[in-house]
Amino acid sequence: MFWFFGGCALAGAALVALMPKLVHSAFALVLSLLGVAGLYWTLGADFLGGVQLLVYVGGITILFIYGIMLTPRDATRWSLGTLVLPGVLVAVPVAVLMSVAWQGLAAALKPAAPVTSAPTTDAIGTALLMRDQYLIPFELSSLVLLAALVGSVYLARRRKGG
Amino acid sequence: MPLLAAEGVSHLGGYFFISSAMFVLGIFTMVTRRNAIYVLMGAELILNAAALNFVAFARHHGGAGALDGQMFAIFIIILAAAEAAVALGIVLQLYHHFPTIDVSKPDRLGD
Repeated sequence: MFWFFGGCALAGAALVALMPKLVHSAFALVLSLLGVAGLYWTLGADFLGGVQLLVYVGGITILFIYGIMLTPRDATRWSLGTLVLPGVLVAVPVAVLMSVAWQGLAAALKPAAPVTSAPTTDAIGTALLMRDQYLIPFELSSLVLLAALVGSVYLARRRKGG
Repeated sequence: MPLLAAEGVSHLGGYFFISSAMFVLGIFTMVTRRNAIYVLMGAELILNAAALNFVAFARHHGGAGALDGQMFAIFIIILAAAEAAVALGIVLQLYHHFPTIDVSKPDRLGD
């Protein structure tokens, strides 16, 4: 199950990076996000997997597809090619860095904690509303969402004569 | 009951491999593409990879911190949603000002 969802996430990410057309990349992104939601479920994070499904797969993807439809098609043609070399030059060192980090981490890791398979929704709701835990970030994130809502409406409206 | 729980904890390395591969592919997407929407997609991949890492490592650590990783991931999702909405608004506005969404073309901020 882990390798199925992990394969979905990896294949989706690879297709996003390599697909020639923007719409195909958007649907590959859906595959990748679904894989990540499944990985959350394999980690016992059931609520988080549902949130991932709702917000990412259901929401952000729709935003992307609207963005694709509202922009010109000739601006969305394949723009790989000239920048492959810089891309490789950036990506390969990061990959090497990751593997080095893992070499160091694997030696220092303690054995895995025992698995508790309890539903997490209740615990997350409690943690969000406890004053000494996540109440302030929770309220601030509602402020951020309000600002983003107003700001994106302001940005995306069509100005008269503009 | 959580779906499919109790399986993945033994291979933290697999989660780390997948999240770092997604991170690298996201960086590759952001660097190689000139289209602004592709750049946003790369950013989403990177954010997802980071959130997955948070959850996997917190689960491995266990105890009272196991939930903290999930909380971080939830806040990452909240901020990513806000970021995507605002960034796509900016992309549309960019397209109204310039006839392109190629991120290397626009060269001025005002009119």
